[in-house]
Amino acid sequence: MDQQPPSLLHIHVKLLGFSLHSITPWPNNPSIFYLNGKRISRVEILGVVTSRDYKPNKFLRFTLDDGTHSITCILWLNHLTSPFFASRQPATLRVISDLAKCFADDIQFGKVARVRGRVSSYRGDLQVTVSDVVIERDPDAETLHRLDCISLGRRCYFG
Amino acid sequence: MQEYSVETAIAVIADQGATLKVDTQHLRELSFRIGSIFQFIGELNIQPNNEAILQARTGRNVDGIDLDLYYQSLQQLRQFQAKHMKNATT
Repeated sequence: MDQQPPSLLHIHVKLLGFSLHSITPWPNNPSIFYLNGKRISRVEILGVVTSRDYKPNKFLRFTLDDGTHSITCILWLNHLTSPFFASRQPATLRVISDLAKCFADDIQFGKVARVRGRVSSYRGDLQVTVSDVVIERDPDAETLHRLDCISLGRRCYFG
Repeated sequence: MQEYSVETAIAVIADQGATLKVDTQHLRELSFRIGSIFQFIGELNIQPNNEAILQARTGRNVDGIDLDLYYQSLQQLRQFQAKHMKNATT
């Protein structure tokens, strides 16, 4: 019996910008996308911060450039005021809000950031809704991420 | 980095026999050191005399980078992109 390949739907798929921009929306669910026929919803990307649009207590919109494409990312900073989060526990919301503010401080022009988040579409353009940020200080971080993405692409995503 | 002028904020970077002028006037927080390895992202402007100059938007010092691995990864990337794009059009 043929074994089904593992689903990519609930893992953070490591992608380069040009691969991320090749995904297409799943017709029945706006938070699911096709990557070479496989369903994905979350990604891990890495690149240099090349733009930064900060609206205090609302959001930080920034761009990551990994040399293959620019990727727009949105980090929400409105957890304590938006009705969208009203059903969550206040203590949990405070932790999430504080963490998001730390991430916003970390995201500075010219830094190399590793971002995890959900893929979404906004006004027809792809963007990543950020859930986690790590600032990379290793000068080889971009190279190693590039090689990871190529290797995973050949073995898992496009193989 | 091969040259840097404090007066003009113009740097000259060299890689594998090629050189490029970089206008670093917007990168005030970066300290420039001849011989260090830098990475810049910006807009490439072609001057009336056909000389290219990169208007740097961001820059960072990447001293310690494994350049051999960097070049190999770029080679792998070009092969991967070529195959990926060929598949996308067929």
